[in-house]
Formats: sequence, C-alpha cells, structure tokens
Amino acid sequence: MYNASMIIVRLPQKKKELELRGPRRVMDLLADAGVRPTTVIVTQGKKLLTKDHRVEDGATIDVISVVSGG
Amino acid sequence: MKCKRCRRAEAAIELPSHHSAFCPDCFFVFFRRQVTEGIRKLRLLSPEDRTLVCVSGGKDSLVLWDVLIDEGYETEGLYIDLGIDGYSDRSKEKVLAYAASRGKTPIVVELAKEGIPIPEAAHCARMQECSICGTVKRYFFNRVAAEGKFTVVATGHNLDDETARLLGNLLHWQRDHLARQHPLLPEEAGGLVRKVKPLWRVSEVETAAYGFLKGIDYVTEECPMSEDATSLVYKEALSRIEDRMPGTRIVFYQGFLDPSNPLRKRAEAQEPAGDAPRATEADAEEGVGTPRACASCGAPTYTETCSFCRLKERVRKARSQRAARSSR
Repeated sequence: MYNASMIIVRLPQKKKELELRGPRRVMDLLADAGVRPTTVIVTQGKKLLTKDHRVEDGATIDVISVVSGG
Repeated sequence: MKCKRCRRAEAAIELPSHHSAFCPDCFFVFFRRQVTEGIRKLRLLSPEDRTLVCVSGGKDSLVLWDVLIDEGYETEGLYIDLGIDGYSDRSKEKVLAYAASRGKTPIVVELAKEGIPIPEAAHCARMQECSICGTVKRYFFNRVAAEGKFTVVATGHNLDDETARLLGNLLHWQRDHLARQHPLLPEEAGGLVRKVKPLWRVSEVETAAYGFLKGIDYVTEECPMSEDATSLVYKEALSRIEDRMPGTRIVFYQGFLDPSNPLRKRAEAQEPAGDAPRATEADAEEGVGTPRACASCGAPTYTETCSFCRLKERVRKARSQRAARSSR
C-alpha cells in the first residue's frame, strides 16, 4: 500500500518498485536499490536529478537504465 | 549543486569525466558541441550530405537524428522492423511518433515481409540473434542508402558502444576488426556507402539525459534478444573502471583513433589478401580489400556471395527441411 512517509523508487526496466525511507540522497537510494549510479539516470516527473540531490519523503523517482546491448 | 557553466541554475547532470555539472540549458549546449566537434574532427559529415539515419526507437539513434536535424543536416530516418513480438511494435511506435513530431516519415523495412524475421531466422540458422541482426541491418542500411541516393549512413553508436567493441576486439586480438573500427568508414568502390558514428564522443548516460531533457520519447526496454550479449560484459567492465577513474573511456578511444597508433597505421597500410576470402561472417563492414558484387543479389561483398544471401539461403534450407520432416 502507498505510504506517504516513504520514497517510491521505480525501476521500470526491472519491473520493480521499492519503498525506502527518506529523506535521502539519490546516490544512497541507488545503493539501497543495488544500482550502480553510473549506469542510470534518475528522474522525478520532468526533472533529471543529480546523484547528490536530496529526495524528500512522499516523492516518487524513476531509475532508468541507460545500458544498451547487442 | 550549481551548473558549472552558467553558475546560476541548479545542475541536472554531473559529468565526472568532464569535471563538470550542467543545468538543462547548458547541457544542451555542451552535448551538441560534443557531437559537432566529433563530426568536425573526423570530417564525418558535410553540409552537402544526404544522410540516412538508422533509428531503432532507442535513445541513441533518436537523439542522433534530433541533433542532426537541429544542426541543419538533410536527413531521413530508416527503421528496420526486426519482427520481434511486441518489442518491434513498441519501438516502431516511438520512431513514428518522433518522426511525426519533426515532420518526417521514416523509411520502414519489415524483415517479416523480406522473409527473414530475426527470431525465426536465428532459430533456423542456429545462430545468435545479435549476430544475425548485425548482418541483416548492415545489409539494409547500405541497400536503402544506395537505392535512395544517400551519400552517408549514420548510426547512433556512442562512446560506450565503441569502447566495449574495442575492448572485445583487443581481448581477442581481432586484428581485422581493429583495423576497420572507426567512426568513419569511407565510401568504397562497388557501392559501399560511407558510414559514420557521430555520437562517438558522448556516453550512454549523456545521450539518455539529452533524450530525457529534450522530451524525446524513446523505448527504454532492452531488446529481449540481447540479454546475453557479450558487449554487455565489456560495457560493465569499462563502466567499473570509469567509476574509479572518470575519463578513462574517452582517453582509451581517442588513443586508439590517434593516427600514430600502430594498430591504425596497420589499417591504413593493409593490402588486399590475394584470392583468399577477405572476410568471414563479418561481411562488408568488417572486410578488407576491394568489394565486388554479390553473385546472388549484386550487393557489395568481399566474398563470392554476401553474408546476407548466405544467411537467407541457410534459413531457406532449414525451413524446407523442417517442412519435409513435418510432412512425413
């Protein structure tokens, strides 16, 4: 269930969604999600977030992998 | 964190390899400069060129098309529908939507109609999907460009792609491939159209960020056929090195491209290898010597029959064997 006091971290390519306690920096959220920061961009709505950006409770962020293969 | 260029706006992206951080507006300037500088340095394109941009629906190719249009180049898009259930439809949608937003209509080649959809072809030929895909795409890139009187074919390969390929070629000492790896493959007699990779100086993170900030709606899911691609292993290795030593990738690649690099000197001095087949499965892009016309389709090739026709023949045989078995 949606919890307003948590940060929602969506990883669409992994079809995964996490709820993590905030406020936290993007790089800390990525570490908790097990994602290497240099392999993704992190967005909040139409905003692109730097890795030191502080995310507040109740926010939803998307972690988009940028690595393409083949 | 503030933008290190304008020093006013909040930064949206940090680039340790450039010791920099940019707000969206300054990042657009930076990114476009990187691309135009890459084009200028290696003389990839001229204002007179008619450029066929190969677009897959992914971030790199759509960003490339976007930058080239904005820079005033004459371009048309080429989309190859690989015939992969669901994924190909979603990719095509993105390409058509982007093209429409720029007042363009891309050229579309449907591999199912050409009798060689990738999943079935790979199954029949018992080959890896990525290998078949490369052969088929290169064939149609050149064919569509030649038929449409385009002077150059542009693909969205970026710095991460090129360094991953370089690492793979070095680890296996693929000397022929190393000799031909370059963001510029010149036009050759026999109908090989010039091929260029204008994004060779920008990383995947940079193209993804540019695409997102420009509002380009690209397909973010990965091709389901590429999950086990070896290029991903090389990319991860390089990415870990880059994490610890930002800027290593570009130094690695620029050093390789330096004309004084013995590997490049070898490429320039390379002579045709007599009557022996000059390329294996690697087809025209990877070949050396002078291409001739394929005995079957007339496309330029370094062997008697081009790799595309050999592949089609292999698939045709497998299909008829399968049909014979099921009719027994």
